[in-house]
Amino acid sequence: MELLHQILPRVQKPARYTGGEWNAVNKDWDRAELKVAFGFPDVYEVGMSWLGLQIIYGIVNRRAGVLMERVFAPWPDMEEKMRENGLTLFTLESLRPVRDFDVCAFTLQYELSFSNVLNMLDLSGIPLRSEQRNEEHPLVIAGGPCAFNPEPLADFIDFFVIGEGEEAINDFLDVFLEAKRRKLSRRDFLLETAQIQGFYVPSLYHVLYRADGAVQKVFPLKEGIPEKVTKRCVRDLDRVFFPVRPVVPSTGVVHDRIMVEIMRGCTRGCRFCQAGIIYRPVREKKPDTVLKLADELVQNTGYDEISLASLSTSDYSRLQEVARSLLDKHSGCGVGVSLPSLRADNFSLELAKEVQRVRRSSLTFAPEVGTQRLRNVINKGVTGDDLLKTAGAAFRKGWQAIKLYFMIGLPTETEEDLDGIVMLAKNVLALGREAGVPRGRLRVTVSVSSFVPKAHTAFQWEPQTTQDELKKRQAYLAERLRQRGLVYNYHDPGMSFMEAVFARGDRRLGAVLLKAFELGCKFDGWSEHFHWESWREAFRLTGVDPASYAYRRFNHDDPLPWEHIDTGVSGKFLEDEHRRALAGITTGDCRTGTCPGCGLCSTLEIRPVYAGG
Amino acid sequence: MPRYRMLYNKVGPARYISHLDLLRTFERAVRRAGLPLAFTRGFNPHPKIAFAAPLGVSIAGEAEYADLELDVLLPEDEVAWALSGKLPQGIGLIDIKTVPEQTPSLMAVVDRATYRAEAELAGRISVEELNVAVNAFLELPEIPVERKNKSGKIKKHDIRPGIFSMSGRLNNGTIIIEAELKTGSSGNVRLEEALAAFKKNSRLPVRGEFVLYRTGLYTGRNKKKKMLW
Repeated sequence: MELLHQILPRVQKPARYTGGEWNAVNKDWDRAELKVAFGFPDVYEVGMSWLGLQIIYGIVNRRAGVLMERVFAPWPDMEEKMRENGLTLFTLESLRPVRDFDVCAFTLQYELSFSNVLNMLDLSGIPLRSEQRNEEHPLVIAGGPCAFNPEPLADFIDFFVIGEGEEAINDFLDVFLEAKRRKLSRRDFLLETAQIQGFYVPSLYHVLYRADGAVQKVFPLKEGIPEKVTKRCVRDLDRVFFPVRPVVPSTGVVHDRIMVEIMRGCTRGCRFCQAGIIYRPVREKKPDTVLKLADELVQNTGYDEISLASLSTSDYSRLQEVARSLLDKHSGCGVGVSLPSLRADNFSLELAKEVQRVRRSSLTFAPEVGTQRLRNVINKGVTGDDLLKTAGAAFRKGWQAIKLYFMIGLPTETEEDLDGIVMLAKNVLALGREAGVPRGRLRVTVSVSSFVPKAHTAFQWEPQTTQDELKKRQAYLAERLRQRGLVYNYHDPGMSFMEAVFARGDRRLGAVLLKAFELGCKFDGWSEHFHWESWREAFRLTGVDPASYAYRRFNHDDPLPWEHIDTGVSGKFLEDEHRRALAGITTGDCRTGTCPGCGLCSTLEIRPVYAGG
Repeated sequence: MPRYRMLYNKVGPARYISHLDLLRTFERAVRRAGLPLAFTRGFNPHPKIAFAAPLGVSIAGEAEYADLELDVLLPEDEVAWALSGKLPQGIGLIDIKTVPEQTPSLMAVVDRATYRAEAELAGRISVEELNVAVNAFLELPEIPVERKNKSGKIKKHDIRPGIFSMSGRLNNGTIIIEAELKTGSSGNVRLEEALAAFKKNSRLPVRGEFVLYRTGLYTGRNKKKKMLW
């Protein structure tokens, strides 16, 4: 790898490409029967911040006879040097070419990373389309939240893992090792894989289209292949593997701390939220489990911060007790506790104040929208009053900056809702002044994203608001949020549009993706690398109309391109939720004991798990 | 508070760890080792780890120095034993010793560094020719290089006074340049600058880029070159 050392001094942040981090696992290549390269289709700092990578890496590498190494999307400066020098994509552990592995596994965390999946395959010298590959090439597989609508990537991925990976990955390793011993052909191996719960082999399914271009039906081509692929879901979070020896990056990454997952799933039922559906049911870990994991993690990583990770940390039944115990045990060695995704209430605030050793100067809340009416539509169970009360208290307790997350373009949104955002932001600012925060320090950041309808949610039938309209609404807000102390951020509507296209897309987007890759699209999630013009050209050249995806309004009886993927939540429940949303009727929290009736528990034969207390 | 002087190397993948990240890397290693790291007082406490001189990203360090303060006095052996198994690949603890509390900081005394640069030869050259090229370079009355200052303006600097010595040798198709350069807060000369100027002046047949090593750090105070140890 002398070539690598000639290149590295010439690129930004070379530590992204060199491995050798603490707890990285270098297994003996020759003694591994099965070698998996784990590809994260974004830059190192993003990929290394994702807990799922550490989980999967740990599960595979603790097994004898198999190994997993990591590979991330090289930043464009590195890619240029690699292509210039004929260096193919390599893993960080052994610096071997990705194409020497048996399997290349991607995670799909974000629609705008799809072009990077193609680019990484190309950099590896692996043919992009599944049908161009044979036994000599690595098997290309993918999982993660975006696999819940896998269709846009169906041409490129041999199979998708739907749902949680901890148990599924072991099933896969068993089947693969067995297939290797029996010398099964790739096709026969895929036929076997397709029969395991949660494994979707797109080449074994056929798509019928209607005359108007919409998807009519997705169905299996062979008998014995399930019509619906049901997600995988871990039953016992206290017993399932959790990595206590995570790789500790040597260079700064986005989330550079211990992450202990305290709970999976969320009971709140926000109607735009896909995570709230696909990670059902809620499963809390026992406090003992969390404390034990944290002990080991502190010893094994040397980090100075423990983050209690979940979709909604304030909801964890025994948060206070766990946070205090962690603090008692570890603060002596300078280790702090941080609580992400806090709810805007006093309890959360008190706790944050109590446990956070290094006081963050800023607090973040997500009121999502500006009026109670719209908050009822999206089923966000926080009121504007809650927020103001908490914000006021926060300023009085010494915080000087507050970040507020909003979403625009939601179904039924009107000008009044936009005015509501402005008012809320200004009221929060006024509270800061009242509390005596110095003018120069006082800051209220208003971050506004655009609604993207996602598969499997109550809003999956809804069109996205057009780009032109979103731009108008962004400008409307910009004009009214001009004030000292207010900072206004918004997202590129072109990027949100592309996200919507792929979030509800079908197989025909494969051709577009391929064309966009050829036109140089990559790192679409990074505004400096997102080229709307190239995407537009890709759509034009392939004759696909992106608006028909992003702006389509589906009827409840229309077939959906992702209907063969089963989250366990019933279609009927989502329809009801959609109707209730439009009528402004809220639905209760599953945690409160009144079952909202999503149907998951009976379908998957599972129950929510609470830590009690 | 007890202060320990560490002699370590930073090679392999670790040579790409930036100076800022290196501090964090040591902090985490010390915590993994279960050693009672001392912190500065104040609103945002910092670990008391101080390096002699920043090492440029991608330069391997063969004899680097840092001071580490602990809250409790522990035998040197114990500290070395605890820490050496907890460093990431490419950082190796070579030796450790306690230093008296009033010892001046490494950064205050370091003022020169030795380097080695290796590159593949692209053509034939004799040792004599190499020596002629090195001597011609060293005989230049001044060696101006361009540097950007903080406001982005390009300014000329003469690096000749900061080049204390330089020599070259050949080994199996590899050219090896060794140099001793001024390092520290004033008159610092970067190895890359010196090499670039040398390459320009001598037009040696080099293929690709030089691979760089810092081989030692010294203090030249009181007119005598001394190791930082």
